[in-house]
Amino acid sequence: MHIFSGTRGLQGDTNPIVFIHGTGMDHTVWTLFARYFLRHGRDVISVDLPGHGKSKGPLLDSIESLSSNLLNYLDSRNINKFSVVGHSMGSLIALEAASTQPERVNSLVMIGTALPMAVSDALLDLAKRNDPGAIDILTFMGYSNNARIGNNKNPGMWMTEGTRRLMQRSSKDVIFKDLMACSNYVDGLEKAKNVSANTLLILGENDYLTPRHRAKDLINNFKSVRVKEIKNSGHTLMVENPNLVLDYLSEIL
Amino acid sequence: MKKPQDLKPDTLSLHAGQRPDKEHGARATPIYQSSSFVFEDTESAAGIFNVERTGHVYSRITNPTNAVLEERISALEGAIGSIATSSGQAALHLAIATIVDTGQHVVASNCLYGGSHNLLEYTLPRFGIETSFVDFRDLDAVKDAIKGNTRLVFGETLGNPGLDVMDIQQISDLAHDNGIPLLVDSTFTTPHLMKPINYGADLIFHSATKFLSGHGVVIGGLLVDSGNFIWDQNDNFPQLSKPYKGFHDMVFTEEFGPAAFINRARKEGARDFGACMSPHTAFLILQGVETLGLRMDRHVLATREIVNFLSQHKAVSSVSYPELESHPDHELAKKILPNGCGAVFTFELKGGKKAGQNFIENLNIFSHLANVGDSKSLVIHPSSTTHHRMDEDALKKAGISEGTVRLSVGLEDIEDLKDDLDTGLRSALKTS
Repeated sequence: MHIFSGTRGLQGDTNPIVFIHGTGMDHTVWTLFARYFLRHGRDVISVDLPGHGKSKGPLLDSIESLSSNLLNYLDSRNINKFSVVGHSMGSLIALEAASTQPERVNSLVMIGTALPMAVSDALLDLAKRNDPGAIDILTFMGYSNNARIGNNKNPGMWMTEGTRRLMQRSSKDVIFKDLMACSNYVDGLEKAKNVSANTLLILGENDYLTPRHRAKDLINNFKSVRVKEIKNSGHTLMVENPNLVLDYLSEIL
Repeated sequence: MKKPQDLKPDTLSLHAGQRPDKEHGARATPIYQSSSFVFEDTESAAGIFNVERTGHVYSRITNPTNAVLEERISALEGAIGSIATSSGQAALHLAIATIVDTGQHVVASNCLYGGSHNLLEYTLPRFGIETSFVDFRDLDAVKDAIKGNTRLVFGETLGNPGLDVMDIQQISDLAHDNGIPLLVDSTFTTPHLMKPINYGADLIFHSATKFLSGHGVVIGGLLVDSGNFIWDQNDNFPQLSKPYKGFHDMVFTEEFGPAAFINRARKEGARDFGACMSPHTAFLILQGVETLGLRMDRHVLATREIVNFLSQHKAVSSVSYPELESHPDHELAKKILPNGCGAVFTFELKGGKKAGQNFIENLNIFSHLANVGDSKSLVIHPSSTTHHRMDEDALKKAGISEGTVRLSVGLEDIEDLKDDLDTGLRSALKTS
């Protein structure tokens, strides 16, 4: 598995931070946040999930298998305890890890999440055919109306096209398998009850892919959870409001 | 499933990159005429410097007004990001300097703007970068010109001044087959007439002085990154795929993925070469971009009428405009420039140099100057001005003779423009 851990690499931090990207993405979505924690002396493991970014396949099509693959990787690096941050599909993988091995996870952060994370048949059908329309829909719905006009906090960068380009780099079937994994993860609400980690949800007020009201049941099923809602933001919160996301991450991690 | 409707170009021209100012509610983009920006605290200052937090530090690198322009052009081009520069020349230099090192090589079209030709032919060799100039209509010649040390292919959407239409798809395929990117100067067409990224261009630059502004009151440029080129597909671009000592061993491809190039260009080129745009200039260019679609449509309409008028005039031996069937790239232009081939073109006067001088000196509305893309109509005699450093052979290859006149058709009343040209042409006839 390819990971980004900065130029310092892993130095034996007893609470490294694992970052997990969403559908069709890779570790580069976490660069700003990874750099912050690296500067503050933390070990960072920003993963490219199997078949994504620079990680070789095979593609895994369930949240359970993606989580299990990640935990095995952490075992192979002798990492016992860790904190985990996931976005969208990555948040489900993080939840699964924190639920199946609660004793290992210090903090759990789920960004842009909902449960169930249903995916429409029409979108699945496009993705199954590797139709670029699937990426268009995910890009469009991945941002708030506000962000589609721009005014990026990151100067000079056009947000939607950046996201589209990253997804366009995905190999064949990646988007479909990821969406299937999200859609089929039906036990998540029950699994939330097993989580013992400090838990934070960061939700976008105008998230059209995982609308905040669909996180309600998830929130209710955690033993203890904090929720931060970011105004005027959509699903791709790390791009739309990176500084606020970093503030929230730095509070819990 | 309904296809999502992204905002259309005319909407993006007015809005992309800018929301009403939160402090005062200003609807127009404010001019942030400030060299530098106060940090919230020492921690956030360190965070911005270390690329953990977003924000502005110093206007040589980023500025909020410039950022609106950069985002707007990126949106119009379908790109991931842009950098505003002090001129189009600065944008070209920034593109080359970011990825081409001493001992390396560029393949360029032999029909370039004179300023670009100067940089590649005379100046960059001083820094160890050589260029082969090739007829881009001859794909075999382009292929043959690409060498092991070639790192960039570069041409113009519409060559200067003969309006050679670049077959961007074919040229980009050739570049990509060799693991190198294609840079395109899109100044003459603007994103309103063509988006080079749709045909495979990896990088674009504009002289924003021209049609993007339209008012002719500023000098500025934009370097645009499609985000499509995979910079670590080979070892050709260690600037992006290997640790950079100038930024704590950052590996740009590893940390920014598709945005590797534009980040390196800003973090190195904007920082170290310093050819930045003034925020006031960015503001003025934004005023032009707001009406880009309207103006370009009118430019094209007027140009078509004037091309037709000149084609039938007895003082004119030929007109070179890709919409004419006589132009060698007519079929290609129909395919990739269906909304028009811009407003700059050349024609040949009967009677050579003296006729050219008489023509220009008897014009009243057309201004004789070295620029194009103004809302005011412009005229120039390339062989004695913009291309005067080229020898006879190079001029011939670029399609320029002593009787060649270049027009940039503006937005004045079309009948007035035709009358003005007619007056000049009658004077030219007397010479011949």
